[in-house]
Amino acid sequence: MRARTITRTVLLGTALALPPGAHSQTTDCAGLSDPTAIVDCVDRIMRGESSQGISTMEVVTENWSRAMEMQMWSLGTEHALVRILSPRKDAGTATLKAGTEIWNYLPRVDRTIKIPASLMSASWMGSHFTNDDLVKESRLIEDYEITLAYEGERDGVEVWEFDLVPRPEAPVVWGRIGYQVRKGDTMPVWARYYDEDGELVRTMTFFDYRELGGRLVPATMRVVPEDKPGEFTEVRYSELEFDVELDEEFFSLRRLRDTR
Amino acid sequence: MKGAWWRIGWRNLGRNRRRTLITVIGLALGYSAVVVMTGLSRGLVAEMIDNGTGMLTGQLQVFADDYLPDRGIFDTLGGRDGIDVESLVSAVAADPRIAAASPRVYAGGLVSTGAATAAGVVLGVDPAREIHVSRLLTYIDEGRVPTPGQYEIVIGREMANQLHASPGDEVIVVAPGADGSLGNDLFIVSGIFSTGVTELDLGYAVAPIEVVQELVALPPERIHEIAARVDDPWAADAAADGVKSLIGPDGPNADVRPWTEFRPEMVEYANLATSMEWMLIVFVFGMAIWGVANTMLMSSFERRREFAVLLALGGGPGLIVRSVLAEALVLGAVALLFGVAVTLPVLAWWHAAPPDMSWVYGGFTMAGGLMRPILRVEWPTSMIFITAGAMFGTALLAALYPAWRSSRVPPADTLAGR
Repeated sequence: MRARTITRTVLLGTALALPPGAHSQTTDCAGLSDPTAIVDCVDRIMRGESSQGISTMEVVTENWSRAMEMQMWSLGTEHALVRILSPRKDAGTATLKAGTEIWNYLPRVDRTIKIPASLMSASWMGSHFTNDDLVKESRLIEDYEITLAYEGERDGVEVWEFDLVPRPEAPVVWGRIGYQVRKGDTMPVWARYYDEDGELVRTMTFFDYRELGGRLVPATMRVVPEDKPGEFTEVRYSELEFDVELDEEFFSLRRLRDTR
Repeated sequence: MKGAWWRIGWRNLGRNRRRTLITVIGLALGYSAVVVMTGLSRGLVAEMIDNGTGMLTGQLQVFADDYLPDRGIFDTLGGRDGIDVESLVSAVAADPRIAAASPRVYAGGLVSTGAATAAGVVLGVDPAREIHVSRLLTYIDEGRVPTPGQYEIVIGREMANQLHASPGDEVIVVAPGADGSLGNDLFIVSGIFSTGVTELDLGYAVAPIEVVQELVALPPERIHEIAARVDDPWAADAAADGVKSLIGPDGPNADVRPWTEFRPEMVEYANLATSMEWMLIVFVFGMAIWGVANTMLMSSFERRREFAVLLALGGGPGLIVRSVLAEALVLGAVALLFGVAVTLPVLAWWHAAPPDMSWVYGGFTMAGGLMRPILRVEWPTSMIFITAGAMFGTALLAALYPAWRSSRVPPADTLAGR
């Protein structure tokens, strides 16, 4: 379940992305039938854990493509630190999330800068994730009305498909989220994000399910923007650790600048 | 014989000089009102176009045909290979209608002092050229323009306030590079500009073009735009056609746009102002026509006996009509002379020294351009003549009915005093 936390971190913490569940006990959510209870169960068991890991983020756009190796740490949903390890040009560049604030460290100029609220929808490190994805770490059951849209077999696998519609007062950017979860191991398959007009904006798919850090996780996630189907951002985990010794003080500006 | 009609008309005007004077003053004032109001309206439009295009955009832009609407950092002139910047800028500037041209690079990014960060457009320019195309760098009220080749930047006043930055301070500029990297570098604030246009003062920063290219990983031959100044804004369309044919089908895939295309709302306003000029003529002379008609009716009524004698002598109605119309035309001519004598010197003075109205109102923005608090007047050359024609038309039209009535005077009854 801590793997899910780190997955969220790798995904820049998007609650809306509803990243994959990593389950030490796949039966945690077994027996539940109410859609909100299922999602809440998956969501709840991920809270309050610390984690650390290494992943590779590959970004492919019409004009360029690049891969970055990243190390990240997380504590609960409020704290996260992501540092780029390679390529050399970007090595040491780091992003710190502390509550609703985001700070970037730029090793080339040895400075930290705070990202203003107006830039929350801007791309993070050129990827298809936004700064907002990093900050919006709200609980799905608080922000969305969750209903079961489909239950049955898809491509030979028993799945649930949930429909998440934001509550009227919820501070979220999506108009609707569609989300498919495998019933057998409660692993996510895909999440589809729609705007307020009901148009599909981006699709996140999860695959490469395997054990990392002793837990089952989808080791690869890919985000494809609907308006540019040739582009994508893919995150692949190579290392994951759970229950690492981290406290809030770890997520400091001093640590952000620490390139070691 | 032809000259005789004008003499008769002129003499008739002298019969009641006070009434003639009042009518002439009325018509002349109408002429003045239309010409001056048109001049003011054209001054307003010229000010709007000057400031709307002169502040930043220029009157003509050349960019890659796929640059709009996204303004992607990759969409440079000539694609990935770029262009020979010097020769294309020189070629654009060589068009006789174009006064100056300047290459530009745009980067969307962050300007930060660390604790405070502002998002904006970092515009890379050659300051020596840019100053002849746009006025943005002339609005620097603290500090100076950035030095070419140096990591110096000028920022808008509102951005400076947001960042608590002053000239000499260090800022970090971050912008996504064309290779996907996150370009970042330290710059020294060399100056702060205050245009009065919030969008610019808050969201723009200007740095030397070669430094911005390095920041966003673009080689020197890759630029986003060539902006040009066209002194007569209404010649921008023709200048754009000229540049298009100059680049030709073998040149880089470029889109050449005059301000009339990228600022269509200003063209619409200018068209609206022109239609208002015509409405003004109709209103002013539509009112004046009744005054002139009244004068002519009174005048012709007083001369009933004269017309009766002429008719009794076999003069014929045509003679009477010509006499009255000649009088109206002479009235119009006198009013025109009077109007021109008063209006044109006033216009000349006004055009040369537009009154400063800052004691009444401050600068304001209109269609995205800053309007200075002055009452600017432009020469409404065409309207000076059109209004003159309209005034003669008014005088003639107003005289038609009195002329017709006069030609229908019954000679015997009139002479008999019945």
